[in-house]
Amino acid sequence: MPTVLICDDAIFMRTMVGDILQQAGFEVVGEAETGAQAVEKYKQLKPDLVTMDIVMPDMGGIDAVREITKFDPGAKVLMCSAMGQQALVVEAIQAGAKDFVVKPFQPSRVLEAVQRVLG
Amino acid sequence: MDPQRYADLFRSESGEQLSEINRALLDLEAAPADLGPVHVLFRAVHTLKGMSATMGYAGVAAFAHELESLLDRVRGGEQGISAELMDVLFAAADVLESGIERAVNKQGDPPELSTVLEQMRHVAGGGATAEFHAVTGEYSAAAPRPVSLDEGPGVLVRVRQRADTMLPGVRAFLVVQKARTLGEVVAVSPPIEELQGAERPQAFAFRLVTTRPTAEIEAAIVAAGDIEHVEVSSGPGRHRAVRMAAAEDEAAPAPRGARHVRIELARLDTLMNLIGELVITRGRLLQLTAARSDAALDEAMTQASRLIGDLQAEVMASRMVPVWQVFDRFPRLVRDAARQLHKEIEFSVEGKEIELDRSLLDEIGEPVVHLLRNAVDHGIEAPEVRVAQGKPRTGRLLLSASRERSAVLVRVADDGRGIDRQRVLARAHELGMVGPEVTRLDAEQLFRVIASPGFSTAAAVSNLSGRGVGIDAVQARVRQLGGVVELETVPGEGTSITLRLPQTLAIVRAVLARVGGEQYALPIQHVRETLEWSTEAVQKVQGREVLVLRDEVLPLVRLREVMRTPGRGRDEKADIVVLERGDRRAGLLVDELTDQQDIVVKQFDAVRDGLALFSGATILADGRPALIVDVASLL
Repeated sequence: MPTVLICDDAIFMRTMVGDILQQAGFEVVGEAETGAQAVEKYKQLKPDLVTMDIVMPDMGGIDAVREITKFDPGAKVLMCSAMGQQALVVEAIQAGAKDFVVKPFQPSRVLEAVQRVLG
Repeated sequence: MDPQRYADLFRSESGEQLSEINRALLDLEAAPADLGPVHVLFRAVHTLKGMSATMGYAGVAAFAHELESLLDRVRGGEQGISAELMDVLFAAADVLESGIERAVNKQGDPPELSTVLEQMRHVAGGGATAEFHAVTGEYSAAAPRPVSLDEGPGVLVRVRQRADTMLPGVRAFLVVQKARTLGEVVAVSPPIEELQGAERPQAFAFRLVTTRPTAEIEAAIVAAGDIEHVEVSSGPGRHRAVRMAAAEDEAAPAPRGARHVRIELARLDTLMNLIGELVITRGRLLQLTAARSDAALDEAMTQASRLIGDLQAEVMASRMVPVWQVFDRFPRLVRDAARQLHKEIEFSVEGKEIELDRSLLDEIGEPVVHLLRNAVDHGIEAPEVRVAQGKPRTGRLLLSASRERSAVLVRVADDGRGIDRQRVLARAHELGMVGPEVTRLDAEQLFRVIASPGFSTAAAVSNLSGRGVGIDAVQARVRQLGGVVELETVPGEGTSITLRLPQTLAIVRAVLARVGGEQYALPIQHVRETLEWSTEAVQKVQGREVLVLRDEVLPLVRLREVMRTPGRGRDEKADIVVLERGDRRAGLLVDELTDQQDIVVKQFDAVRDGLALFSGATILADGRPALIVDVASLL
């Protein structure tokens, strides 16, 4: 069963993403609510997939991606963005993120993106 | 490439540049110390040069290049701004315009091109004769977008995104990123910075130098997500298509972050006609559903009705364009006319941003030109005459657009001599238009006389107003568009002519009135109120029927008599519509007011020949035809 680390400062969003991925057969091995936590947990858990919110306290998602990619160039990070954050998403991709989904999440969209990242 | 296919696009785009050039020239002439317009000129001419060169219009491109060189000297202060220079620049702008028109029509360079070229060189004292050879290369290098998709190493990849792509700009960026893992991306169109900022799904293309097979490239691109279509090719035919797709994007600049597409006007017209039919059908459906009292049906109908209304509003809105698109060419026209007639005129335009239906705007261009020419020719006096009369030497001419409720007013006002009532009266007597007992024409009569076909007091047929449309044609045209013409004139002080136009053609709301077995539509724009017949309302004053409305006494017109409908209506069942146009009002007595509907106006071609009572016809919701009453003719 593939493993996932979910990074978002909102519990609601973490729960929702977790539900979608669990139903698709993922095991949620960890959650992080700040960028710093995300980096720390990645190093510790080495999940198959990371979902990453862009705006989080104490190191944002983009910096977290940069750190994670530095640690593991093969890391598979999926950015979670709101509408209107395109410039930030581009930056995240340049930092090493592999794909993105846009809130509000549609399960099918999330799973398509996950397929692309892992495929 | 095959430039002819894109000639129309080029023509409309270059038209915008030409307007800009003319505008800048006028600005420069008005304030030669300010070099701002020179920069605008330089940029516009440069753009035209590049566009013409791309189209293969060598003559125009070379000419533009010389003009650009001259402007460069002006910009750099090497060339002073003189009256002579201005004349040459105006002439050059004309050559550019005719040169482009002729090039598009494959008619070769305009005959005056070489003359003006000589003048340009003369005015520059031989300093503006930079050779043209580098133009094409320079354009490619200076162009904001790489145009090298056409040629070069590697394969061409064309991508179209799915319509529901989220953050399409980012997705496109991801596609390019993905391609970079396969080889080197050497050109992207539109440029990557623009691509990644796009807010709508789009088609884009790039050139990829790679050793990977086509299938693998395609698979990789598709894997980037939200791709509707991807095509990898190296044949020349494809290149052209993509290049022009890119050029088309380029031709539709995106100010304020909005993206635009160019649509053929005919398509908007078709769309408008279809919406019109749909609106009629809606009326019919509403009648049918109302007769059934089925709650579920009513609800669905209400919903559909609202959607049709929204659709109508959207289509109308998509047809609206600001009046400057037509008005912008008038300053040049007025300047030229004034110079030709040795008049001094300060021309100003107000309300440029007011919007009108595109087809209406096209239609009023000609009437407005006529009014402006008339004002320059007959309205505003020669400078000496003005001075002798104690008026400022320079005459003022104002073209303005403004909105008044649902109408748009276009006004041409001058401070010239006004209309000479005595002369018009004499001519009217001559032609038997008014009886000999009339000794003074009021404003309405005056207008009716000068607006009647064939009337002209011009002593000599001048080059300007003697030909082309007369004021009668102006009025006929405006009426056909569902508008009215109003005139105010004060001898010695000036004339103001106002075209009162509906904001859009085609669909208007109307009150339906029945007389005998016929239905007539009264555009609601002119309906002030309605009331039932009563002995208090309808009275006789000096043997004439009048409508007493609160403390007002208005003329009363019986539609039955106007239409010469046989038989008699029963007054006690009759309804009265109070019509209003400008400051004129009258009551219209009809057998019955039956409904209010959106109607689709179908214009007559023969308004001037005996159908002056009607401005058009329509098909009502129940499928029956009705004539649309021209309210102006009743007042």
